[in-house]
Amino acid sequence: MSRHEIRFELNGEARTAEVEADRLLLDLLRADLGATGTKEGCRIGICGTCTVLIDGRPISSCLYPAVYADGRKVRTIEGIAPDGGKLTPLQQAFIEQGGFQCGICTPGQIVSATALLEAHPKPTEDEIRRWMMGNLCRCTGYFGIRRAIETAAGTAR
Amino acid sequence: MSAVETHPAIPYLPTPEERVEGREKVTGHARYAMDVPIAGALWAAFVGSPYPHARVVSVDAKRALRMKGVRAVISGKDTAPVRFGRRLQDWPILAHDRVRFMGERVAAVAADTRELAEEAARAIEVEYEELPPVFTLEAALAPEAPVLHPERASYLYLGGGEPPKTTHPNQQGVVIHEHGDVAAGFAAAARVFEHTFEYARNHQGYLEPRGTIVWIEKDGVVHVVTTNKAPFTLRMQLSKALGIPEETIVVDAGYIGGDFGGKGLSIDEPALYFLAKKTRRPVRSLLSLSDDFQVTNPRHPGTLRLRTAVDAEGRILAHEAHVLLDGGAYAAGKPQAGLIPGDAGLLLAGYRVPAARVEVVTVYTNNEPAGHVRSPGQPQSAFAADSQIDEIAREMGIDPLEIRLRNAIQPGETDITGHEWHDHLAREVLETLAREMKWDRPLEQRSLGASALDGPAVPRSSTLVGRGIGYCARHVGRGKTELEVEVAEDGCVYVITGAPDQGGGAHTMLQRVVAAELGLPVERVRARRGTTAETRHDPGVGGSRFTPVAGGAAIDGARRLRAELEKLSSDLDEALRLAAERHLRVPGMFDQTQSRYSVCAYGVTVAVDRDTGQFRVTDAVLVADVGTVINPVAHRGQLEGAFAFGLGQTVMEDLVIEDGRVVTANLDGYKLPTMPDVPPLRIVLLTEDYGPGPFGAKSVGELANAAVGPAVANAVRDAIGRRVWSCPITSEKVFEALSGARG
Repeated sequence: MSRHEIRFELNGEARTAEVEADRLLLDLLRADLGATGTKEGCRIGICGTCTVLIDGRPISSCLYPAVYADGRKVRTIEGIAPDGGKLTPLQQAFIEQGGFQCGICTPGQIVSATALLEAHPKPTEDEIRRWMMGNLCRCTGYFGIRRAIETAAGTAR
Repeated sequence: MSAVETHPAIPYLPTPEERVEGREKVTGHARYAMDVPIAGALWAAFVGSPYPHARVVSVDAKRALRMKGVRAVISGKDTAPVRFGRRLQDWPILAHDRVRFMGERVAAVAADTRELAEEAARAIEVEYEELPPVFTLEAALAPEAPVLHPERASYLYLGGGEPPKTTHPNQQGVVIHEHGDVAAGFAAAARVFEHTFEYARNHQGYLEPRGTIVWIEKDGVVHVVTTNKAPFTLRMQLSKALGIPEETIVVDAGYIGGDFGGKGLSIDEPALYFLAKKTRRPVRSLLSLSDDFQVTNPRHPGTLRLRTAVDAEGRILAHEAHVLLDGGAYAAGKPQAGLIPGDAGLLLAGYRVPAARVEVVTVYTNNEPAGHVRSPGQPQSAFAADSQIDEIAREMGIDPLEIRLRNAIQPGETDITGHEWHDHLAREVLETLAREMKWDRPLEQRSLGASALDGPAVPRSSTLVGRGIGYCARHVGRGKTELEVEVAEDGCVYVITGAPDQGGGAHTMLQRVVAAELGLPVERVRARRGTTAETRHDPGVGGSRFTPVAGGAAIDGARRLRAELEKLSSDLDEALRLAAERHLRVPGMFDQTQSRYSVCAYGVTVAVDRDTGQFRVTDAVLVADVGTVINPVAHRGQLEGAFAFGLGQTVMEDLVIEDGRVVTANLDGYKLPTMPDVPPLRIVLLTEDYGPGPFGAKSVGELANAAVGPAVANAVRDAIGRRVWSCPITSEKVFEALSGARG
């Protein structure tokens, strides 16, 4: 397997890594860089627990070869609120509105919803459902997640 | 709890809680088993059988062992005769003589990396000799059927007592209960109804893969980091299986990324123990969800044959049930004495049943072993029994709500098992539901779906609408637990528990109960979870038990602390200051013995496309008898989540096994509901009846998923005039029912 040196930005910090051609971004983040906020789920791109942002767009890091991150900006849950800093309104709303229970899908949900609110600051209910359908949650039935997004967007009824 | 109404804590409890672990969970800092860094840990991988039933002739690991970085390979030879399980320890750590289901583990590897371990596992050559498999209940129970567990009598049966008496060697578990004069009930009946229902296999669907780390310290202490939701129980099971004292095992279970009943059974820990012993290094595993779907413990599928005798007004006189469930290759996933899943025998939950005979049998087959899933046994029994009640109503020309009101169990009456029920709201739940659904008004015609995501636009003329009620009840959990309450140097009160949090909000409940009982601001009380070496015995999160049992222990601990504080000073702040200096620590203990129930009912509407059978639940109302609410946000979340969980099980989830092979072995084939799949839900809580939990709380986590099945079944029946007798109720089955109606 060929090895490649990649340079990318992880949550605002310049990083370099040497990866095999088939190394997945999920494994680079979790196993090699110790950034375990991004969770492993189904590993086939369905559940959304491993969602990260590549140049602002949500992707499943379990399907994304790490070499593709070369020259790009990678943003994970650790980069949503700066370490030790204030929670974003969305994160706060996830706590207040019951947007999580077990929490395993929560990093992916918050990463996806952060991108949603950046793209559509006042999303309609349909826009929320369409955007978030790639992030499964077994605990909440999605009610609390939708309330959290609407609360953060200021569109809650 | 007679003091409830005047308790000063009550006004405090309705304030929405902030989860103690909230900040960690929304920032990605909550640490799950898969995130725990262990220096020098090896990775484990397993070799699974490609046959559902075969003799293991030989295991050849030479090629794997030659790979650089492969540290050990073990097979059944190394682990025999050890077996594991929650009650009956019938599941070999690694198959030692034969495999009984496809995917059953035959060998395990420890290697430097996860990828290498997986590659080495693929390099292990196993020779098998195929044996005739049994896949169906009929085949397994045939007189000449191959006996799957000829050595059963030698298996360890935990928890005392005798294993259930079986009449066929392939029976796994048997529970029979009978009360009242059943024959007289049938003799006196105006009508007798007999129906057979089928229920498919479904998976817990947690998104966190099972993760385990095992290492053995120089002093011989075995450390286990796990996703198991009952660490003390796992410690006991490991102790029994491995023959080592409980005191030499330390189990650490932190945040669990979804359990839904499944993570009471551990399958990796015993094998990792052998690998750790052999390599003298920590060994970890992270089971892929694909493997989890194939080799763990999904819900029991089966057949439920019900006979119900009623009088001329539709009142139940007697009931007979034969429930036959596919337990798969091993009974290890079932913790209960009779080796049946939970309440599979509690047909007609929430109904008055003067006389009944119920027989529940679980059966060994060469399918994936079955186990516990949220409200074990109840989705099956509720789907069958509450569909039958609906059918009886329609056959007899009685309103479906009215027949339930006539039969709803009242305080002091007996249920199907002969138990008397008290302190529950059954009629009130149904009456409230009727008001909320506007049951006395005909259902308005409406188009299928409110948004483009709800499916292709369907012309109004081809849409059939219907509404249905699903009614069910569940016990409030019982049992014993212990914890500790401490005043620490920072002046805060700590509740110290050995119970992990699997998402239900366990630690926040403890925090709020102690704060409420002591009259302290919630910020002054914290929850701390510890390993089995650091905490008192706790039976784990499950069985609808945590709030009524551990909440009782929290009250007890708070009261003991208050008594100690009063000795120090009459001023609470001064007493806490003095207690902090002394590290004052008291136990909290509770034994919840009261047998109590909660009742709930759904009303749902469905819209069905007459031409294709495609249908959607368009609206739902849930009325639940819940007692006092302690964590309002988590409480609502449990009910909302249970609705979506129940909906998935009812309309889409089917863990299909064909010739022993799991066909829907990950989330691409096994569909979980997504955000657009879940319709609006209104929840109405009845809180005036007090439960046996702290401040009058009842349990809620497993109350509300089972009744979704019959509610949808009955609504579809209302819409199309035909019943779908098997769950899940897919569009294909609705189409077939509609075709039958046309033909």
